[in-house]
Amino acid sequence: MRNSTLISRLLPALGLSLLLLPGCYSRSDIKEEGGKAGTMTDAVISDNPETPTVAPEAAATAQPLQRVNVLLEVSGSMEGFMPKTAADGQNTQFQQRVAQFLSEVNRTPMVRQKSFFLLKEKPYTESYGTLSGTVRGGIRQPAKSTEVPAVLDTLMTRYYQPGTVNVLISDFIYSPKNAGAIPYIKTDITDALQRNGAQSDLAVSVYGFTSDFRGTYYPALVAAGKKTNCCDTEIPYYYWVIGPSDAVRQFDAALLTDETARQAHFGVTYPRPAYSVLDKFENKGSWYYGDDGASKRNADAYRVVAVSEASAQQPVEFVVGLNLQNLPAQYRELAYLQQNLQVQTVDTDAKLAGVTAATAQTKGSSGPQSRFTHFAKIRLTKVPPASRPLVLKLQNQRPAWVSQWTTKNDATPAAKTFALSSLLDGIQASVQAQPTIFELPLTLQPAK
Amino acid sequence: MKAFFRFLYEIIGNPQPPADTPVYRDVVFPNIGLLNIGLSLGLAVIFYLLINRAMGVATFNKGRHWGLFLGLNALLAFGITIWQAHAQQVADHSYIYWLATWNAILSLAWFFIFSLLLRKASTNASTTPF
Repeated sequence: MRNSTLISRLLPALGLSLLLLPGCYSRSDIKEEGGKAGTMTDAVISDNPETPTVAPEAAATAQPLQRVNVLLEVSGSMEGFMPKTAADGQNTQFQQRVAQFLSEVNRTPMVRQKSFFLLKEKPYTESYGTLSGTVRGGIRQPAKSTEVPAVLDTLMTRYYQPGTVNVLISDFIYSPKNAGAIPYIKTDITDALQRNGAQSDLAVSVYGFTSDFRGTYYPALVAAGKKTNCCDTEIPYYYWVIGPSDAVRQFDAALLTDETARQAHFGVTYPRPAYSVLDKFENKGSWYYGDDGASKRNADAYRVVAVSEASAQQPVEFVVGLNLQNLPAQYRELAYLQQNLQVQTVDTDAKLAGVTAATAQTKGSSGPQSRFTHFAKIRLTKVPPASRPLVLKLQNQRPAWVSQWTTKNDATPAAKTFALSSLLDGIQASVQAQPTIFELPLTLQPAK
Repeated sequence: MKAFFRFLYEIIGNPQPPADTPVYRDVVFPNIGLLNIGLSLGLAVIFYLLINRAMGVATFNKGRHWGLFLGLNALLAFGITIWQAHAQQVADHSYIYWLATWNAILSLAWFFIFSLLLRKASTNASTTPF
């Protein structure tokens, strides 16, 4: 009797303790609650009408391209790049590089169908072997002259297809028939590329190289006269990769990864790179992840910074890790990033305090910083009044080499091309305006 | 529940380093809070209902015996905090020890409250500690 009352009295206490214990939290519980981080910041940016649509983070699956057309110009001005093999067996850098490139194109599994053309007054279909042979052994019958707008026009009307890229290899010395056309180079190029504005997803990647040159040099300004036995200096030549934006991006990423090439990209859009705020990497001051479920440490990305205290004496500094490995080399260059990466905020004094590249130390680290190629440090000295958007954006600037490689008078052979910036202006005008390469939304908020 | 424990444990100030705030608020505080209550209740049940009632031990009901349990409770609460902090991989910081001390102090309070609730149910220790 006594015993049974004792047990009945004990029961509630035991029951209570049993109820309390499973209530304990663990990381795995939090994981289920999380997973929604980022939705808020996404909402922030989509509210902004100025923001152009940014391709989603998930990179498009790498489907092979339908077709690539490689067009090699074989007019007289190209002869110097492809001289007949000299007695000492020396070739030019052009021969070396282009033969290598043609071989890579021919072998790549990234493209289903490969076509090669010799570009005279119009493109002539050739086999890979013939084209490669021409590059190595020299041009047999140089074409008279090929005008850049005419070539582009043919290319756009006949070879511009979805999933197809066209690679034009040429010196791009554009000599209009009369000097009066020179001011209209930009317009001529635009007209050729966008005859009826139908190619809304047109993209062009321009790669610039220089090569030694052994032959006759034909300047754009015909009046200056050709120079035989040219040259002591290196002469530039270019690959223009022309096609729909997605195809150009894939082709660039697969086959034109040479970091030494000068490059400029027009109309190519890139998937938003992976990024995350890092709370244990060069962080300073009183702040923490404000994302939902921020306590699960192995989340892919954090985008909300909750600031508890900030002042001029004790600023808050946080680092955003960026994985830019899928962008072209031009946009990964530290100097370019330092100049063109910008922070845009409302109501806060957040500023970009520096951009650095990954080092062996960060790559080898066990922390999340090992996943990123670049780091942007942001500093603020005031607690935001409420939740405020912050956008980290990379401006799309024409690289400096373009103006350095441009000349108005190419009578003297040099590593410059006549009216190069006008040519590129023409491309620029025919693709969709693209003020930024990427925009990464983050949120600043006061600590709750 | 989280908000209650957050209030209780942030009486001594914000978690340090600040970067670990979400882990403390979402994981460590609720864990140590619940474990602490459970532990205090468990020890009170052992003292009043097990030893001094069911087992009928007649020589373990003095104030010093109760004090022994009180001390044991505080020691375990201190240990639980340090174990939880390390289990959740927060950064090493003196804050962990401040938190452990605070948790030990709270455990004294919990044990005292449970003592008041349970002592009347005990046969041998119904007047312990007073």
